[in-house]
Amino acid sequence: MSYGLPLALLLAAAALARLYAVLPRATPRRRTAPPRTGTCALAVFLGSGGHTSEALALLAGLDFARYTPRTYVLSSGDALSAKKAIALEAAKASPAGSSRKSPYALVTIPRARRVHQPLLTTPFSSAVSLAACAYHVALAPLLTGRPFADVLLVNGPGTCVMLCLAVYLNRFLGLPSPKLIYVESFARVKRLSLSGKILKPFVDRFLVQWPDLAQGDSRLQYKGCLV
Amino acid sequence: MRAFVTVGSTRFDDLVQRALSDAVLDTLRTRGYSTVVVQCGNSDFDAGIYTQHGESWTRELEGGGAVEVWRFKASLDEEYKQADLVISHAGSGTILDVLRLQKPLIVVPNSTLLDDHQQELATALAGLGHVRAATVPNLPQTITALDPSTLVPFPKFDGSRFREILDEEMGFAVPT
Repeated sequence: MSYGLPLALLLAAAALARLYAVLPRATPRRRTAPPRTGTCALAVFLGSGGHTSEALALLAGLDFARYTPRTYVLSSGDALSAKKAIALEAAKASPAGSSRKSPYALVTIPRARRVHQPLLTTPFSSAVSLAACAYHVALAPLLTGRPFADVLLVNGPGTCVMLCLAVYLNRFLGLPSPKLIYVESFARVKRLSLSGKILKPFVDRFLVQWPDLAQGDSRLQYKGCLV
Repeated sequence: MRAFVTVGSTRFDDLVQRALSDAVLDTLRTRGYSTVVVQCGNSDFDAGIYTQHGESWTRELEGGGAVEVWRFKASLDEEYKQADLVISHAGSGTILDVLRLQKPLIVVPNSTLLDDHQQELATALAGLGHVRAATVPNLPQTITALDPSTLVPFPKFDGSRFREILDEEMGFAVPT
């Protein structure tokens, strides 16, 4: 009985040390390796409505021959985002000459919290959401041998926090995990969104689309309007 | 000319009722906007004086002109393209869609929203001259004062910005 507390403290300290070890570095290490020649598997979270529109606008400029395969992660019941993702894929597919199909997949995860859902049941729906994220990010890759993605792009809202949490579970356990890139919405001029505030210390790159937002915070980068 | 008023998927009773008021409709007609189309989403409005045709309500205005009201359509792109002036809530998706089509835009932030970032977006874009920002009460004055030729065109979508950021981050060769 006298070992319980010290053991728990030791475990907590070890967990904190591990978490600290996997947190992004404040100053990014400069890349000295030769340029990447292969492809890069991309995953993107489509958070419905304006979040989806902005995320797909970000993808619209990418070279899909480089970023392949692509995984679109959707909240359950968001048929409109699925439709928009399929429309983008159709628009990006080279019209003539190329018969090579660029592969992509849609996966669905339950929402962490539905609009107007009572606060009391939010922990349960969040846990269900997290379990689904962990399945796609950790378990499915272990079973199939195909990694989830090399990079995960998120821009809110809440459910994307679960997805990032699942990525951190992988990092914590030393499993392959995607780079995390957060792009704050064009709607955020002076203050970060709640998802942005929560995820800021954890993502590898945090981009904002208004100059005032990046003022005085070295973790936030402004490179113009991206959508 | 044609004015299009939109609240997107939101509910914004004050803007819809103001847009359908005599004060705004008269001002619009004076400025040459004789056709007014209002996409009202989930907002309440007094349908009593309108004639319903399927999913839309219409009304002829005394002295010429017509008003049409409906709740939702799958895509608003056609409406934006046909409009000579758009008056909208300050949702970022609507704003980007309209500005990319280079249409004159008056935004009216919904001050009843708890998280008031719409006001900040409207103020910032108005400060850059891309839109005019109005309040529900001063909408007629804003319409009267609007000279579309003085609005600053919004930059076109530039997909290369994010491509370069991501290519660099993921170690692809980036043209210098």
